Amino acid sequence: MARLITVALRLLIWLLLSADITLINFLIGLLVAVLLPMGRRSRPLPPQQLLASLFSSLTAIPQAYVEAIQLLLGGKALEERLESQRFMGPRSALLVFLEVFRVTITPLTIALGIEPGGRAFRVHRLAPPLPPRQVLPGGEL
Amino acid sequence: MSTAWLEPLQLGMVAALLLPILVACRNGDVWHRLAALASISTKVALLMLVVSVVRDDWMVGFVGVIVLSVGNAAVMLLAHLLRGTDR
Amino acid sequence: MNTTFVKTLLEPVSGLLLLAGLVLWFAGTWPLLGRRSFLHKLHYLGIADTLGSALMLLGLLLRLNREWPLLLLALLSLVVWNTIFGYVLASCS
Repeated sequence: MARLITVALRLLIWLLLSADITLINFLIGLLVAVLLPMGRRSRPLPPQQLLASLFSSLTAIPQAYVEAIQLLLGGKALEERLESQRFMGPRSALLVFLEVFRVTITPLTIALGIEPGGRAFRVHRLAPPLPPRQVLPGGEL
Repeated sequence: MSTAWLEPLQLGMVAALLLPILVACRNGDVWHRLAALASISTKVALLMLVVSVVRDDWMVGFVGVIVLSVGNAAVMLLAHLLRGTDR
Repeated sequence: MNTTFVKTLLEPVSGLLLLAGLVLWFAGTWPLLGRRSFLHKLHYLGIADTLGSALMLLGLLLRLNREWPLLLLALLSLVVWNTIFGYVLASCS
């Protein structure tokens, strides 16, 4: 599955670069895409997981414009915060890439790297300040 | 197709380009200057693409596309080197 | 028929997208001059460079040029590279 995606991506770049979809050019591009060295074999990836991740990365783009408008209109009131966010699913390089892309393209959040434990991201987020801790009138401890 | 109204747009883009140039020339933290330089690179490439559309001259457009697709790699390499020297 | 369609409908949309991209450029680059933290500036730079430039490239694509595959390639590489670049810069600093 991952090899198929790699070949398709290379073929797409080749076709866009040459702007020519005649059969002979298509075949040359396919040959080059297959013959270029592949990366290391990664562990097999369930296709529906990949599709879900791809879909959420694509829907993050309109979401990014909404957040851009929020940030530009109300940027003064936001404060910076460090969070850690777990990622779901297996640790595959492609999935981690898509997750980093999804987090970083939205202007309110930036991924800062993977925590040493390996199961979570550090995320830098601009968010409205937390409400101050309510003090109950009874002075309850 | 008329392209006359694109002239003020190019002027506006050049004006927006002046801001990161000012930041990069100012003495400051090296990371702020690196971010400003990356911003300059993207903005110049976009300006090249707009100019190539206006003048219908695709040699300029090719250079813009190349800068957009491989130009950031150099700055990324520089960021990694800087992190190495910071430690 | 085809050219009138392009003239009447697509050209205003393309102009509007280019203008919106320019507005995002100014709004996102202006905080670079301030004295906030580095990560705070990176949030704004993401608006200007990735989202604003993507709008402008979309506006150029809508003009239906001869060389549109080149512009599409530029759009793809701009979105992917600039996003990952923001991540690398944030995690290296």
